[in-house]
Amino acid sequence: MSAAAAAPAASGDVVLAARGISHFYGTVAALQDVNIEVRRGEVVGLVGDNGAGKSTLLKILCGALRPTDGSLYVDSEPVSFHSPRESRDKGIEVVYQDLALATELSVAENIFLGRELRRHGVMGRMRVLDRAEMAKRSAEALGKLGIGISDVKARTGLLSGGERQAVAVARAVTWGQKVLLLDEPTAALAVVEQRKIEELVRQVKQQNVGVIIVSHNLRQVSELCDRVHVLLHGRIAGVLPREQASAELHPPELLPDA
Amino acid sequence: MAVEETTTTTASSGLGSGGAVDRIAQREAQLARRRRMMNVIQGQGLVIVFVIVFVTMWISSPYFFNVNNLATAASTVSILGVMAVAETMVIIAGEIDVSIGSVMALTSVLIGMIVGWGVNPWIASLIAALCAAGVGLVNGTLVVFFRLNSLVVTLGMYSIALGIAYVLSNSSTVIVDGSGFGQLGSGYIWKIPIQVFVFLGVWAVGYAVLRLTALGRHIYAVGNNYDAARRAGVRADLLRIGLFVMTALGAALAGIIVTSELSSAAPQVGDPYLLAVVTAAILGGASLSGGRGTLVGTLIAVAILGVLQNGFALLSMSVYTQYMVIGVLLILAVLTDQFAQRAER
Repeated sequence: MSAAAAAPAASGDVVLAARGISHFYGTVAALQDVNIEVRRGEVVGLVGDNGAGKSTLLKILCGALRPTDGSLYVDSEPVSFHSPRESRDKGIEVVYQDLALATELSVAENIFLGRELRRHGVMGRMRVLDRAEMAKRSAEALGKLGIGISDVKARTGLLSGGERQAVAVARAVTWGQKVLLLDEPTAALAVVEQRKIEELVRQVKQQNVGVIIVSHNLRQVSELCDRVHVLLHGRIAGVLPREQASAELHPPELLPDA
Repeated sequence: MAVEETTTTTASSGLGSGGAVDRIAQREAQLARRRRMMNVIQGQGLVIVFVIVFVTMWISSPYFFNVNNLATAASTVSILGVMAVAETMVIIAGEIDVSIGSVMALTSVLIGMIVGWGVNPWIASLIAALCAAGVGLVNGTLVVFFRLNSLVVTLGMYSIALGIAYVLSNSSTVIVDGSGFGQLGSGYIWKIPIQVFVFLGVWAVGYAVLRLTALGRHIYAVGNNYDAARRAGVRADLLRIGLFVMTALGAALAGIIVTSELSSAAPQVGDPYLLAVVTAAILGGASLSGGRGTLVGTLIAVAILGVLQNGFALLSMSVYTQYMVIGVLLILAVLTDQFAQRAER
């Protein structure tokens, strides 16, 4: 789904940009004059201490929060989001740290939550849920991403932590036609599962989607990201290109598992 | 616990040794088994309770198992059932409405008052139902826009509506009759009371909405994870207001049926239903933490309450014994729900 939509635009175009973003909680400055952009097929990392403003920035990019100052651009068009719904309509999807899954619903129902497929039901008039089609498409989407969840009709609450995370990522990938925002996508995951999620990010990148990833995991950031933005006290303290990020964030003597 | 182990693995080796990964996998499998088991207990437990209660009554009283008695039992719980359907849906959405008993009474009193002005009872019922819907709208608006706790708001509304019902009626009973109005509450079709059909109709519509429509999925999602539902684009606030209007309409329908059955309007008609409705919904598996519950469960719970009520009357047992049994069942239902939720953490 995402590949088809992304096809007309060339790789490398700036798909989402934030210029001069500032945000204040009362008198406290959470963000000051932050610039960030992501191109199609690019993975941008966002690192920084707790309270550096990473989550605030991500919330602004997806419309969950309105910045005090500054502007957002999607495909070079100025936009202003009043809710996550509006950013979604522009092809921006988020994987929240808390995953934002309804554990009582099935995997397929979560993937299609708010965008349910319907078919003509009783007497050809009433529109009812098309469970079969949603299950089929969910299985396809998961299959394409190499996520091994055998039963998409199973309740999400019955899945393991890693599987739930994969479902949240799969949902975002399924609908995120332009940009994918990931907030700590592998926190609390075993290494094997972390690797799977990282593989997913690489696949998304290949599908020409721009990715911004917030992570505390420096190995992950240096391996995955084309550029890394470092946030310090609400300001961008520096932008490291890939090679530098690998060297500075991932010194071989500290992390021998590289 | 699984999370702790995971973190340890990550920190210790960075790659995860085979043994640790196996342990995590084992733990996950164990948790998954427990989750599935609790699922089964929650699903089948209610049916087993129903069978036990039914068979016990059948053995205990020779009058229990015959068509007329069962029809009477069904008709007694139909009014409760109509409201329990609406209540279940509100509880699934993570809210609760305890004002229904008095909204039902208010509806009855309003019908009596409007009929007293010479209006046809059916039209009077319609007007009363619209007023009830207004009460639901106030409940929903207060809960959603002012972020108030629905238990407190509807408890307050319970008191307000009951007060209005008593003031309007002057605590007296008014005769309501004519235009075949009495048929709704006391008529029969093939030996089955009409109100049983009304209940089953309401139940079927509720079931279809929950099972077959996107709205139904949204009700579960809003109760289960409000933020997730909103972020997914579900109009969560509108939906919650709508559900409060719906429970008020359910209470109004119950009020109309009971007024028809008694051929009179009185402010006391809602008294027995204050807690019974919430009991039916929770006994049926609806979780007060939202996101869980089915109308099949509610149907079985209503049937259990009906059989208990009827059986205890046949056995000339005290109504207080019935209270105790219902109380025990209610606590068991909440306990099962709690264990099921714990298994999923």
